[in-house]
Amino acid sequence: MPPAYLFLLLSGALFTMGAVGFLVRRNPLVVFMCIELMLNAVNLAFAAESRFLNSLDGVVFAFLVITVAAAEVVVGIAIITQVYRAGRQMDVDGLDLMKE
Amino acid sequence: MVVAFAILAAWELVTAAGVVAFRRPIYNALALVANMLGLAVLFLILNAQFLFAAQVIVYAGAVMVLFVFIIALLNPASDLTLGRAGNEWIYGLVFGVIFAALLGGLLFNRGLTGRQGASTPEAINAVGNVQALGAALYTKFLFPVEVASVLLLIAAVGAVYLAMRRIR
Repeated sequence: MPPAYLFLLLSGALFTMGAVGFLVRRNPLVVFMCIELMLNAVNLAFAAESRFLNSLDGVVFAFLVITVAAAEVVVGIAIITQVYRAGRQMDVDGLDLMKE
Repeated sequence: MVVAFAILAAWELVTAAGVVAFRRPIYNALALVANMLGLAVLFLILNAQFLFAAQVIVYAGAVMVLFVFIIALLNPASDLTLGRAGNEWIYGLVFGVIFAALLGGLLFNRGLTGRQGASTPEAINAVGNVQALGAALYTKFLFPVEVASVLLLIAAVGAVYLAMRRIR
């Protein structure tokens, strides 16, 4: 069994890559995928916590995270589709209608 | 076990880089599917068989099918027309390096400390992984589970409303 900190480091690396993608990418769909990447990284940390502390709490929390992520994706993709149908281009920088 | 972890860690990092770096959204989505499947196998190493199944069915199955479907429905080449956004990505990279350095310094060679629970792998496998998790879900965590079910209902209703609404 690899030591616990390797799992946490892998989780941190995946989370960082997701955060960088969230900041850099401009397509809203890809931004959403980067959010999924970050949620997955946190799930890995939860599962590692569960395994190395001999407790089921981490697995339960990871399960709840999966549930919330599914709900978030459903609503988010519906909004993206509506924005696209309204004739705007697929660019998060272009969606600044609420700035004024 | 260590060799499997090393291979999976490399797989995870490569596919995560693919999610961030590919230019076409469909390649991003496929890299994310590969990433999620690798993560599911990591859950198996961590003795979380139920999470493995949930990850494969919910994430790699349902969520990514939705993503791929929407990419196919909308314009697949849309990100190519945007072009590189100047040098914005440098700021993202600088942020990533600083953030990774902080996390690495915090986590390196630090074990997980805390009160040890009673659910050792042997105790879980004696009653079955799903049974043990179900007992925890519907006794200790009953309220969060109910809240999550209400959230899923609200999300489904909201998505249907958004899809039906006519844009002027």
